[in-house]
Amino acid sequence: MANVVLRSVNKQFGEVKVIKDVNLTVEDNEFVVFVGPSGCGKSTLLRLIAGLEDLTSGEVHIEEERVDHLAPSKRGVAMVFQSYALYPHFTVRQNMGYALRVAKESKETIAKKVNDAASVLQLTEYLERKPKALSGGQRQRVAIGRAIVRDPKVFLFDAPLSNLDAKLRVQMRIELTKLHRSLNATMIYVTHDQVEAMTMADKIVVLRDGKVEQIGAPLDLYNAPDNLFVAGFIGSPSMNFFDGTVINTSNTDVEIDVKDSVKIKFPLNEPSNLSTGDKVSFGVRPEHFTIGNTNQGTFTGEVYAVERLGGETYLYLYVGDQKEVVAHMSGDQKIAIGDMVEIGFSLKQSYLFGPHGDAVR
Amino acid sequence: MQTKRNAGYEAWLVQIFLIATTIVVLYPIIMMAMSGFKTNAEIFGNPFALPKSLNFDNYLVIWNTTDVPRFLLNSTIVTLASVAILLVTGTMAAYAISRYRFRGSIMVSLFFLAGLMLPLRLAIIPLFIQLKFMGLIDNLLGLIFIYIAMSLPSTVFILTGFLRALPSELEDSARVDGASEFRIMVEIMVPLITPAMVIAGIYNAVPIWNDFFFPLIFIQTPEMKTLAQGLTSFFGEYSVNFGVLYAGLTLAALPVVIVFIVQSKRFIAGMTAGAIK
Amino acid sequence: MSMTNADYEKAKRNRTLKLKLWLLFLILPPAAILIVFVFVPMGSAVWYSVFDWDGLVRKEFIGLANFQDILFNPLKNKVLFNAFMNNVKVFVSLMLVQNGIALVIALLLARNPKGYRFYQVVFFLPVILSTVIIGFQWKLFLNPVFGLVNKFLHNIGLHDWALPWLGLPETALNSMLLVNSWHWFGFPTLVFLAAIHRIPKDFIEAARLDGASEWRIAREIIWPLMAPAITIITVLTFIGSFNWFEIPYIMNGLEGSPAGSTDMLGLMFYRTAFGSVSAGGSNFGSGSALAVLMFIFIFVFSIIATKYLTSREVEMN
Repeated sequence: MANVVLRSVNKQFGEVKVIKDVNLTVEDNEFVVFVGPSGCGKSTLLRLIAGLEDLTSGEVHIEEERVDHLAPSKRGVAMVFQSYALYPHFTVRQNMGYALRVAKESKETIAKKVNDAASVLQLTEYLERKPKALSGGQRQRVAIGRAIVRDPKVFLFDAPLSNLDAKLRVQMRIELTKLHRSLNATMIYVTHDQVEAMTMADKIVVLRDGKVEQIGAPLDLYNAPDNLFVAGFIGSPSMNFFDGTVINTSNTDVEIDVKDSVKIKFPLNEPSNLSTGDKVSFGVRPEHFTIGNTNQGTFTGEVYAVERLGGETYLYLYVGDQKEVVAHMSGDQKIAIGDMVEIGFSLKQSYLFGPHGDAVR
Repeated sequence: MQTKRNAGYEAWLVQIFLIATTIVVLYPIIMMAMSGFKTNAEIFGNPFALPKSLNFDNYLVIWNTTDVPRFLLNSTIVTLASVAILLVTGTMAAYAISRYRFRGSIMVSLFFLAGLMLPLRLAIIPLFIQLKFMGLIDNLLGLIFIYIAMSLPSTVFILTGFLRALPSELEDSARVDGASEFRIMVEIMVPLITPAMVIAGIYNAVPIWNDFFFPLIFIQTPEMKTLAQGLTSFFGEYSVNFGVLYAGLTLAALPVVIVFIVQSKRFIAGMTAGAIK
Repeated sequence: MSMTNADYEKAKRNRTLKLKLWLLFLILPPAAILIVFVFVPMGSAVWYSVFDWDGLVRKEFIGLANFQDILFNPLKNKVLFNAFMNNVKVFVSLMLVQNGIALVIALLLARNPKGYRFYQVVFFLPVILSTVIIGFQWKLFLNPVFGLVNKFLHNIGLHDWALPWLGLPETALNSMLLVNSWHWFGFPTLVFLAAIHRIPKDFIEAARLDGASEWRIAREIIWPLMAPAITIITVLTFIGSFNWFEIPYIMNGLEGSPAGSTDMLGLMFYRTAFGSVSAGGSNFGSGSALAVLMFIFIFVFSIIATKYLTSREVEMN
């Protein structure tokens, strides 16, 4: 059971707290993605698991064994770095075999493991080259190969695709997912790109300012964000938020007034502690708008930009007092700049957040 | 700045000036080398003519009857030993300063850099007493230590700059791969700064090889003298035999000149490393 | 088998301790060499200067008497003043001649003439040669009877010009300064050249498009923008001038002959400290005091010069 458990993990650099009381369990064979804006502590958290940084307090367990006192190499982890961190003066073969050589494995074992990994990653013909003579994607694969060769309990990836161009990134995303399935290994992956998180993860951990904002499966985060931050971070383009004020509450619904223009009766699944006069945020994802009035809720706005991609169309509107709103429609829409357009939404696909940003359901 | 080759008379003027300077620089050196093949009679009678034959007599005199070969050996030992130990210790200090965060690391780097400001020549008296006390007068080891100490600040300065520029992910990667700190330094990081080490080595090797001041004071027995210093006693001995003197000078200049011609790019980069940022 | 929390803490502390020992292992050997062979002697030089010395033996504490002796004893301060003025002359001359030539050549090389690499290597060749070799070589060349210089002058009919260059008070120092310039001009040349290459091409091309003459470009764009290099060379020339020792020592000996015309602070320091015909026996007290004075002077001037010169530097962005 190569699971990873973090208990009350804290890290501070001098006076600055970068990781604040993180509790987290990564199950065996799970692909977990740490995602968040830059500076949220996601890389630090990964480095704490790897042992490249020491914890200020808390515990790290890998495969039911406490490891936070151990050196990185004793933890059974392998890491793939953003810059690949290939040793420039070693050949691909030497790069991939270095950990085994340090561990004093026999020459035959090293050669066999390196050759096996190389054939999986289609690197066999490049084994005698230096990293400088490889393309970005090939270097990336060598970095992954170096991790595979070690046969670790846990793979750690620190934003490994961010140096690749867009096309290669999509390709590598798919390859990594395949690799995860074929290796059946536990993987922890750090990225600031929520698309990578959504497409690859079994489980996403959203971090902000060193704190866990939400943990869950990609679509759970998409469908039921716990708070304003996660709602805004997951999904592209971002969710539209409208400032509103509570004008009436009951056990089953809460009535809000969005900027004096639209009144919405938001149904409740669980009791809320909102009271009249509270400032709230009302959210609708761009892709959940439809053209025309729905009887559940409608905004009216002036179109100031249209992006027609053939299969889909992005509308940019000013609603009310210059509030910028994005709507995403499928197909081509016959709408021009300057048009006044009604965009409707359904209450099932909209979100309400209380004064402190917590989701109201 | 200007990438196009200059055409026209302006370019000719530039060339004439540069060629004249080249003659001023090269002619004395060529004359020195040529005169080494001449007899005294030739030097006095026909100073500017080519030597009558490639006559190695003067060199034979030097090789067989003077201490110059010994001086050459001493200088080689002192320079190689100083630079080797210098690069090892300098890399150690630079590595600690540039690759680790630790309390007092700024103090440590200031400590090494402070040495850049101190002209060691002016401390020759205490050094003399100290070396005497340590039994290092008339001992090449004394020179070696002084040269290392004198060159450490600049070496640490140059190497720190290069080591800082290496990505820390390499180090982390090696750490995850299980390499010890020592192994990371020796196998992963240091091989990547060998060009910088060559620069730092040349920057310090040339003044060490050429130094005259410290041996003048610390070395007295002829067998221990270095080349630059030994030339003075050699000059006293052969003061009337110009041919032998010229041959001696040529011989003394030869090792550095050969290395310079082979490695001129690195030499220039190395020697100006302190003044060009 | 199960470890307590204290055990984990201990394991972590062990790792930190190991790292500290490793750092200590890295820093201590070089630091020890530097302390023993630079910091202790430099400190001792100050300490020694306030004592009376008898040969290698330190006698009683005498305060600033050694300094007083050098600065105000009429016999010694005349020598000191003469040597000091000679050092000043060396500095000024080298700035004008050696660095002036270097600047001109750097500006020419910056035009990327044919043979650029060759010239660079040739001009740097004397720099790598030992001062001792160059001193002796030119001493031979300048020999009044057998030297090549005078032979050459006779050959072209300038018999009156064939002087004993190193033997006359009027020509000895100037000859040495020319030799020194010949030896070193390649160094400032390449430093200046590197500085010129660092000036963005756009600046110069823009000026050229504006119709500025080459002279104006040199004066109004290149010169101000190479100020950092000029600062460095000025300070290095200053330090070199006031430590000037090898060339005068090799070419004309310890006494600065003829008639003190090539005497330098460095020679005087050597004579005072280790004894000579004119200064008598060795005197570590006075020698140390002179060393301290020289150090303070060089240090203070270098700082002031750096401050002053850097203040006229323009930021290049």
